[in-house]
Amino acid sequence: MKATLEAINQMQADGVIGKYAIGGAVGATFYLEPAATVDLDIFVTLPTASGGLLLSLAPIYEYLKSRGGKIEDEYIVIGDWPVQFLPPSNDLEQEAVAEAVSTTVESVPTWVMSAEHLVAIALRIGRSKDHNRILQFVEQDAVNREKLQSILERNGLTAKWKQFERKYLEGTHE
Amino acid sequence: MSKPKMRARLKSLSFSEKIKILEKLRDRSEKIAASGLRRKEIDLTPAHIQKNE
Repeated sequence: MKATLEAINQMQADGVIGKYAIGGAVGATFYLEPAATVDLDIFVTLPTASGGLLLSLAPIYEYLKSRGGKIEDEYIVIGDWPVQFLPPSNDLEQEAVAEAVSTTVESVPTWVMSAEHLVAIALRIGRSKDHNRILQFVEQDAVNREKLQSILERNGLTAKWKQFERKYLEGTHE
Repeated sequence: MSKPKMRARLKSLSFSEKIKILEKLRDRSEKIAASGLRRKEIDLTPAHIQKNE
């Protein structure tokens, strides 16, 4: 992971990407016990080309390929991790990148989404593995409820959260 | 060590230590997949059963 993050940081220093944040299962591992995963999700802001409106991941792939990265399906393998680069597709993901928490992995600086943003994104996606992850955050008391409520309200997810609570949390004494 | 204690201990590890565990879990999973030890899905559709009778 160290080599992977060093390559991503270098890409940022070279201006290929803007701010980034680790999301998904690896991001959740920052707050929870480690859970098996095979890939690294990097939410990344892309510098817009002058006059261009379309955001493309091509410069990332070209940059990394020229430095030994291997493309495998939707991933590019950097170091020994398959990485998926995801430009934020909505306000919630944009906010999650902007408000990411700085940390280090083996002395390499990096950024991880806040626990509350990870929960809100998991709620929006809504697959069973996302619901499991939300339950882990709640059960392990790893989320600030006030901050979460505010994110959910800003992003129109309050009704979905109520539905989630009814389905999974009713009757539990949190 | 009890399961809740183990979970709390794992949660309290540094991010670097947790990443090392993730990498071990991933490598183990890849080895199992490569060895063919993972249970194959059993096709119980009538057509498949009939074909293999």
